[in-house]
Amino acid sequence: MSFTLNGQTHDIPDDWREETLLVLLREHFNLVGAKFGCGVGLCGACTVIVDGVATRSCITLARDVDGGTVRTVEGLAGEDDLHPVQQAWLDLSVPQCGFCQAGQIMSAVALLENRSRPSEAEIEEAMDGNLCRCGTYPRIRAAIARLVEASI
Amino acid sequence: MKRRTFLAGVGGGIFALIGAGTLVYSQIPVIPKRPEPDAKTAIGWISFNNNRFSLTLPRVEMGQNIATGLKQIACTELGADWDRVDVAFHDTGMDRVKATVGSESMMLFAEPLAQACASLRDALEAGRDSGEIAVTPRPGSELRAMKKCGYIGRSPEIVQGQDIVTGRPLYAGDVMRSGQLFGRVLRAPESVERSTRPLSWNADDARTVPGFVAIVEDCGPAIGKAQGLGIVAERSGALDAIAEALAVSWDVTGTPENVDIQETIDIDANLAAGGLPHSVLDGVPEDGKYDVDQRLDVPLAAHSPIEPRVAVAEWQGGALTVWSGTQDAFYVRDVLLDAFGADGVTLQSMRVGGGFGGKVSATVELEAAALARGVGAPVKVQWTRAQEFTLGYHRPPASHRVRARVFDGKVTDWDHGQVSSHIFFTSAVAPKWMQRATDALIGDDGVARGMVPPYALGRARAAYDVKRLAVHTAAWRGLGAGPNGLAIECAMDEAARVANEDPLEFRLKHIDDRLLRAVLQRVAEISDWEHPPCYEDGLRKGRGIACGIYKGTSYAAVVADVAVEDNGATKVEKLWCAHDCGMVVNPDQVRAQCEGNLAWSIGMIFTDNLPTDKGVVMAQTFIDAPIPRNSDVPDMVIELVESARAPQGAGETAIVAGPAAIANAIRAATGVRIEQFPLKQGDLAV
Repeated sequence: MSFTLNGQTHDIPDDWREETLLVLLREHFNLVGAKFGCGVGLCGACTVIVDGVATRSCITLARDVDGGTVRTVEGLAGEDDLHPVQQAWLDLSVPQCGFCQAGQIMSAVALLENRSRPSEAEIEEAMDGNLCRCGTYPRIRAAIARLVEASI
Repeated sequence: MKRRTFLAGVGGGIFALIGAGTLVYSQIPVIPKRPEPDAKTAIGWISFNNNRFSLTLPRVEMGQNIATGLKQIACTELGADWDRVDVAFHDTGMDRVKATVGSESMMLFAEPLAQACASLRDALEAGRDSGEIAVTPRPGSELRAMKKCGYIGRSPEIVQGQDIVTGRPLYAGDVMRSGQLFGRVLRAPESVERSTRPLSWNADDARTVPGFVAIVEDCGPAIGKAQGLGIVAERSGALDAIAEALAVSWDVTGTPENVDIQETIDIDANLAAGGLPHSVLDGVPEDGKYDVDQRLDVPLAAHSPIEPRVAVAEWQGGALTVWSGTQDAFYVRDVLLDAFGADGVTLQSMRVGGGFGGKVSATVELEAAALARGVGAPVKVQWTRAQEFTLGYHRPPASHRVRARVFDGKVTDWDHGQVSSHIFFTSAVAPKWMQRATDALIGDDGVARGMVPPYALGRARAAYDVKRLAVHTAAWRGLGAGPNGLAIECAMDEAARVANEDPLEFRLKHIDDRLLRAVLQRVAEISDWEHPPCYEDGLRKGRGIACGIYKGTSYAAVVADVAVEDNGATKVEKLWCAHDCGMVVNPDQVRAQCEGNLAWSIGMIFTDNLPTDKGVVMAQTFIDAPIPRNSDVPDMVIELVESARAPQGAGETAIVAGPAAIANAIRAATGVRIEQFPLKQGDLAV
């Protein structure tokens, strides 16, 4: 089994196939941007993009991404520049504790790749599954709004 | 002689011992030491090497972005460019600093840090570039960082911001040591106040699970009275399967007291049974009927940081190193020393994935250390979300009754009673015998926080009681000040209605404090208070106001607009907040703290509730104990009013006013005065 992870092809070792994608990413590939928050897909801290779709890696099995393409927050930035979503997050000082923000960013990236001008309802649908206890929600919306404006 | 050995020698008496496998853990709690910071200690936070400065943070970073704020202080006082100062998180090798609690970081640590930096600057200017320097304190007026210059009053890019948005390892759970394994300590699904221990388990079945490493019977001290059984695996994903295969049966003894939480803290039942022992205000209201007579209850509530607590422990010989995102590295180090009697314990504090007062006790650190010792390899322990709910401590439930008499447009009599559970003398740390002493002698100032209204209210009485419950309670953002503010500000709103006065004007008539008056007047201006929303598009709309003072130093006033559908579905449409914490070092981050407090205010009204049954927390997931979602939290307007005072706290201020502003807006929109929080949709259906 193999998959594309942030642009590179990797094997999924036999004894990791039944693990969740989150455990595979964090404990095998040492990519710790995606976080464990609840383990049952309810908080969104583990969000990565699988084949273009924002996906909860804590309830996705490693074997289910066989042949697929996985993108994590570590793979967003270019050599010299942050991804525009990352930059908007920094410009507006979105993070407080920061623990949920990789998941928030991945949900926002997937949203904006699929909808260049999302409606308010689409933003709500895309982002409501990503919980933040610090209360950064208004800034998350402001960052997305800024990106939408910039794309027009 | 190690203390554990000493205790084992004494035995009995109040030195009660808990047997746990081959080891015995003391039941005498380690008392947190919380020294006040001073300039002399502060010199240990800043150093100069190779033409660069290194700032070792005396505070824990948990999202308040104090790393950024203190770096602004250091850069300004040193006269150093932003990029010339590196920031590191402290370990316990540094001189002890008090826990990161109580919104004290700017208030207590900014000036000592500035003093140390000023002395370092002087030494460098005098041509010294090595050796230790002494701090010569100077008047605050001579400190550059205590004025609006340099980086003060600005909002540079937050420290670790790049690392957060690119997913770099920052948190304790991101630590990966060579040969690291993953552990969990299983405990009985019972009240932590019942004595429970593992009785039997299917070790053979557990061993068949791929990734199984070990079962560790000696897995550290009990949590409450819940002794555990440790499991260790090669991958964290195997822990669920091992736990299931083990199918531990538990020995359960003892009946915890006060399993019916609601009945225990019921204010009216307690008032009927006699007075409340702890007085906050000792005026004597006149007998007779009250114009306002309002019950208000808030339930048990979880902190629910998105990061469940997590620690990595590694033994090297007899020395222990632990990485943890704790709010109190030194206290946790002390507890580890007490429990394990190690040759040395170093605790490295990591970025905290949300604290809110919940990550102060020692839990996963003890579990990880015990499991690491058991298997002879580094072990990471991260609580599951269910463990967070069932084994953590929580905001105590509180039951209030507030009575007020109004005459000639003023409150003449005020009587506020409350029954809650412990905060400072938490059952999570203090055994019952210790609580008996504190209950008898001093009560619990955490529960009392914010119970003195910021108003002149004539003959005013306020008193409370605390009851040990079958669930553990302790500090939660704002301590008692959130619920107390809610109770006081809802009652003041009702009093204004009785007086037939505008709730803003009515409040102002009762306030002497000019700073509180200023934030109230400011929030009225920015919200266009005179023009509230009204019935529109089939929605009942209303506007509410509230204000408060936190710890006598920080001020907030909040206006909320709500819209309520016929079926009772309620949305907060907008929030305005005027906030005064004195001189503002970083306006953007003070705003962020206000925003966080307002999001928590929405939680207090609509979601916060940790369901229990017979003293056992029933919540397992965010479905059982939800927190506000993105669409629940509206846009906000935050206005910083900057009185001419040194920097004060900002982390827990707006929560004294936000919840009541929303509740008062709901009252304005619907005529319903909510008495039991969180709000249920049906409460407002027509």
